[in-house]
Amino acid sequence: MIKSIAKKEFISTLRDRRFMALSIIVLLLLLAATVVGLHSYNTLQAERDAAQQTVNDQFANSEDRHPHRMAHYGSYAFRPKSSISFLDFGMDSYTGASVFMEAHKQNSANFSQAQQSSSLIRFGEMTVAFVLQMLIPLLIIFLCFGAFTQEKETGTLKILLSQGVSLRQVAWAKVAGYSKVVALVVAPAMLLASALLFGKGGFDLSGDVLVRLLLFIGSYLVYFFIFIVLSVVVSALHQRSSTALVMLLGIWILCCVIIPKASANLGATLYTTPTKAQMDADVHEEVAKGIDGHGSGQDERTEALKQELFKKYKVSSIEKLPVNFDGIRMAAGEEHSTQVYQEHFDELTDIFRKQNRISEYASFLNPYLAVRHLSMGMAGADFDHYVHFQNEAEQYRYNLAQGLNNIQTTRLKYGDKETRLSSDTWKEFQPFVYETPQAGWALTNHIVSFIALFMWLALVSLVGMQLIDKTKIA
Amino acid sequence: MKKFWILIKFEWLNFRADKGLLILTILTLFAGLYGIYYGTTEINRQQENIAALDVLTEQNIEELKAKYPNGTDAGDIGYYHTTFAVNHPDSWASLSLGQRDVNPYYIKLRLLNLQSQLYDTENINPLKVLSGNFDLAFVLVYLFPLLIIGLCFNILSVEKEQGTLPLLLSQPIGLPLIVGAKLTFRMMLVLGMALLLSVVAMVWGQVSPDMRVAFWLSVVVLYCLFWFGVAFVVAALQKNSAFNAITMLGVWLLLTIIIPALLNVYIAVKQPMPQALELTIKQREVVHGGWDKPKRETMDKFFALYPQWTDTTEIQGRFAWRWYYAFHHLGDVAVADLALDYQEGLQARHQLVEQLNVWSVPVNVQTIFNAMAGSDLPSYVSFLQSATQYHDSLREFYYPFLFNQVNFTNADYVNEPRHSFTSSPDFATVHAGLYKLALSVLLVFAVGMLLFRRIKASVK
Repeated sequence: MIKSIAKKEFISTLRDRRFMALSIIVLLLLLAATVVGLHSYNTLQAERDAAQQTVNDQFANSEDRHPHRMAHYGSYAFRPKSSISFLDFGMDSYTGASVFMEAHKQNSANFSQAQQSSSLIRFGEMTVAFVLQMLIPLLIIFLCFGAFTQEKETGTLKILLSQGVSLRQVAWAKVAGYSKVVALVVAPAMLLASALLFGKGGFDLSGDVLVRLLLFIGSYLVYFFIFIVLSVVVSALHQRSSTALVMLLGIWILCCVIIPKASANLGATLYTTPTKAQMDADVHEEVAKGIDGHGSGQDERTEALKQELFKKYKVSSIEKLPVNFDGIRMAAGEEHSTQVYQEHFDELTDIFRKQNRISEYASFLNPYLAVRHLSMGMAGADFDHYVHFQNEAEQYRYNLAQGLNNIQTTRLKYGDKETRLSSDTWKEFQPFVYETPQAGWALTNHIVSFIALFMWLALVSLVGMQLIDKTKIA
Repeated sequence: MKKFWILIKFEWLNFRADKGLLILTILTLFAGLYGIYYGTTEINRQQENIAALDVLTEQNIEELKAKYPNGTDAGDIGYYHTTFAVNHPDSWASLSLGQRDVNPYYIKLRLLNLQSQLYDTENINPLKVLSGNFDLAFVLVYLFPLLIIGLCFNILSVEKEQGTLPLLLSQPIGLPLIVGAKLTFRMMLVLGMALLLSVVAMVWGQVSPDMRVAFWLSVVVLYCLFWFGVAFVVAALQKNSAFNAITMLGVWLLLTIIIPALLNVYIAVKQPMPQALELTIKQREVVHGGWDKPKRETMDKFFALYPQWTDTTEIQGRFAWRWYYAFHHLGDVAVADLALDYQEGLQARHQLVEQLNVWSVPVNVQTIFNAMAGSDLPSYVSFLQSATQYHDSLREFYYPFLFNQVNFTNADYVNEPRHSFTSSPDFATVHAGLYKLALSVLLVFAVGMLLFRRIKASVK
């Protein structure tokens, strides 16, 4: 009986020409979004790869220079796109693509896509994730709003129940039938996306990307299932199709349009973001309390450092030290300023995390937010991946500066500002390479959304179905 | 005419009795008020932040005065002194924040080469800017159409489904009058709310009372009329409520999300912006290359641009500030073409949007709002240009000290130029947009009329 109800829903949906037309439109949009996403991914990735290659070559082949000159010359980190970010751009269009890494200073990530776009970009971007998050639920609503109301309106529900099945069984049967229909729309696009991903990476595709892709697809399947059950439940609770539909559309608007924006805005209102100018001024003030690497002033801390070295090497003057004091002072200054910068950077990301937490917890009110965060996380286009990249760039910057300070300490004499080391010296430094963190790491950052998604699954399956039992059949 | 008012009166009674509609209307009203609150607090915050920049500049000057009590080489000041180029919000910005959250509204400047400083970003939470601003423009552009859809999707179909349409038509009134009266009632309600919210926003935000008051209100009225036109067209198809709801939401989705997203893709492909990364790499290469080049070569190049300083003496020794700033400036000169190209690329992208927004009325309206509020991309580009001019004036101020080798004393700070820029509205865009908007409204109502004539009214 249950199987035949499911089959009936499946077949009658396929016969519905209006639904078929909508499905084809959604499928086409999905395919278009895949192609468009891949194109945009390739363009940006090629741009950034080329830029990274250029700066790496420039650094390795720099002219003969004083090492500290080289530290100011610095290098750039261009953020590579994560390989499955062509499915979900996430925040990538709003995060900077290039970080200048120089001595003494932590710079902002500049040139986001949004800064190079007109306000049109604020209407949203055509990505696979957009279609999956917003359009498929709408399709599901259209598919399911009449699940029970139509049977009530035509009087067939009573006949059905007289066959000895319970309301709950009918509901599950319908859910099964509709799930099959949705799978039919979604599967081709998912397969294409996977094929493109594998085609791109070749056979040496890492297992990690596969895990990310599976989690990505998995969370969407749960999300669709939640919407199917939700729609069937709402349909069962209403007497008329039109009221069920209006109710469902209202839920969709609230979940997909209003709450995401309101929660992000609320977060920003509750926790004030400090300006970059103020942050820089604070950093400057605190750095001034430490050792001045360039050593124009004679301060106590420099003096203490000097005495410490004298003791260590058992000498009495800077000239007699076996190491170059300039380099050591520079390294001490760098260590201090980096620490101050990092403290402020961590404070800032902490404020952003607090702001974002409002949206994360709103996932318990709204499955759309849960799947959006999970999807961004798996695509490597969320806030944590961005911060991870910034921290990696900062780590590289620090090591580069200290490496060059070390060269100054060991290969140059005190007070030597003239000597230029040969170009080969710069080849000792490894270029900046960014590795996307593991899928497990990405998942732990979204544990709240993950729980929220499964809470929704449980909520609609248990509580929703319980409500169905109590409905009256007029 | 009397029948018309009777119909309106009963629509009002119907509306009052329908709790769902009442809640929807009140929700929209609150969303509008929140939008106004959010917009004004956001702009106030930006204004406060801008005001705080003056304090930072003063602190920096005090610090330098203490560091160099007897004055010093202007090169030291140019290196350690920071000042700001600021983009003050227009008084209308709180109604439509536009791109003001994505693009920095101030730029920290030193006398060093401009191109390494011009594109530094403000602290931005990417999730927040991704989600966008809940300002009045958002409420009007996105949510008001949804309210109109909620009020109008079953304007005719509900009478059929409840079986009251035959009763109504048995009276001496025609179908057009019924639909007309129903639409009029809803228009009065929606327009009343939209205009009320707009006026509240104008008063709350203390906007400058100029031509824009009339422009804003006309855009709001026309935009609402456009969506009523859509409702009119859909009602003319004489389908059931479910079909109407899906169709109208489909139109909304198409116009506010899908078409804009597709246009965005088209523009990105048509007008790629590879200049940014190229520019940032090249300016560093040229500026740092300055250290390795013979000083004479650098100075000759610089003097070719600034012949007024040519007579200055030959540079002795390892380092001189005037040489340092000369090669910094030559770094800017070397990428001037790329920088111009970048700005022109941004302008071209905006112009493409202006051409293509005929395809989506919401995009057109958002463009008008942002143009009125001076919060769109072109006003950011103007700010970049203004900041560039400010940097020029800073160089002009410091060059006499540097090249005549005059000591920079504590009395000289007050003469340093300060920057102020307020984004101005772009009326050309507003006019063009209004014209297009009016045409869209006419078009959609014409189609509706045509359909009402063509499709026979059925009472079932």
